[in-house]
Amino acid sequence: MLGLALLSMIMMLADSRFSYLSQVRFYASYLVTPLHWLADSPRSISDSVNSNLQSRSYLIGENQRLKQQLLQQQFELQKLEHLNAENIRLNELLNASSIVDERVVQAQLTGESPDPFTKRVLINKGSVHDVYIGQPVIDAFGLMGQIVDVEPYASWVLLITDPQHSTPIQINRNGNRAIASGTQDSLQRLVLNNISDTFDVVVGDVLVTSGFGGRFPAGYPVGVVSNVLHDPGEPFATVTVEPTAQLERSRNVLLLFK
Amino acid sequence: MGPKFNKHHGGWIILGTLVLAALFTVLPLPDWLEAYRPEWVALVVIYWVVALPDRIGLFSAWITGFFMDVLEGSLLGLNALALALVAYLALSLYQRMRMFTAIQQSSTILILVGIHQLLSFWVLTANSQNTAPNLIFMISALSSAIIWPFVFLALRYIRRTFNVA
Repeated sequence: MLGLALLSMIMMLADSRFSYLSQVRFYASYLVTPLHWLADSPRSISDSVNSNLQSRSYLIGENQRLKQQLLQQQFELQKLEHLNAENIRLNELLNASSIVDERVVQAQLTGESPDPFTKRVLINKGSVHDVYIGQPVIDAFGLMGQIVDVEPYASWVLLITDPQHSTPIQINRNGNRAIASGTQDSLQRLVLNNISDTFDVVVGDVLVTSGFGGRFPAGYPVGVVSNVLHDPGEPFATVTVEPTAQLERSRNVLLLFK
Repeated sequence: MGPKFNKHHGGWIILGTLVLAALFTVLPLPDWLEAYRPEWVALVVIYWVVALPDRIGLFSAWITGFFMDVLEGSLLGLNALALALVAYLALSLYQRMRMFTAIQQSSTILILVGIHQLLSFWVLTANSQNTAPNLIFMISALSSAIIWPFVFLALRYIRRTFNVA
């Protein structure tokens, strides 16, 4: 017992502080990844059964709706293209480096960490799909998190609401920068760290990634400020943020490649 | 299948029950139910330790825990340590466990799984992965104790049907 306990402790230390064991985990995951597929199979089967058994009228209706949406978004895209070109021109005038376009690859959620204290999810793309540690993950609505562990056919995503995760952000309205972290007590919301009472932030402000730290590209929506509390007894204001990404509901996510 | 080597059999059945327990552990659950999920793997390990103490012991429990760590993406060695400790305690208790009534067994499970949870929680806190000052993590010890009689009956049925020894 003592020997095994010692071995476990050394392994935990090596795993948390150094990266000697990532190879061990990588190869052991060949054996356990099929279990995740199996655990996810009821959902994926019901998904495919659902999409195969839709009625004709429903499909026609959906098609119509999607076409309308496409038209609307193409119209908005036209304006965006113009704005983008103008932005690049202005940036060139200012001698700033131009913004790089990111490539995205779609992935699907296949599991969730059973530990109720963390916010980690598993996606079905791994090292064979060139996923790398630190890669940003978004959904259709905003930033979801980043890759923290890569296995051959799956990877773990640390969500932005995890207490261990912090995101460098910028307020869209005025460009003020701050850091948004997950909290221990809710796991659904973010808080802004060390916000002085004079900091210009109001309820409804949209927060986007600032690009600081080089991990997340700038400009992706992170959240909306839902509550600002100025307590005279506290050195800092408490700013609560609701994430824009549907962290609990999104099944299709996007991996950003530089 | 020679009579000489017939002492142990049904190893695949033991492995199968452990894999099934691991599957139950990662089966997606709604968020509010997550904390109530019983520690399936710990229950199955305890059952086999009590039923076949000469066969399933510390080392098997440790290896099981190691693969659980990979499966859950948790700190490598966390589940291994917790499960080895549970197996160690179960090994010292197995003679009494066999005599216990269902209620007594369930109370023992409550304590064993409670120790399992407490140890995991301590390690996570020491590693600063969480410091949530509440006892949510103990709920799964309670649900494990409640579900134990059914797990016990099912596994005993499996053991007798397939003659695992």
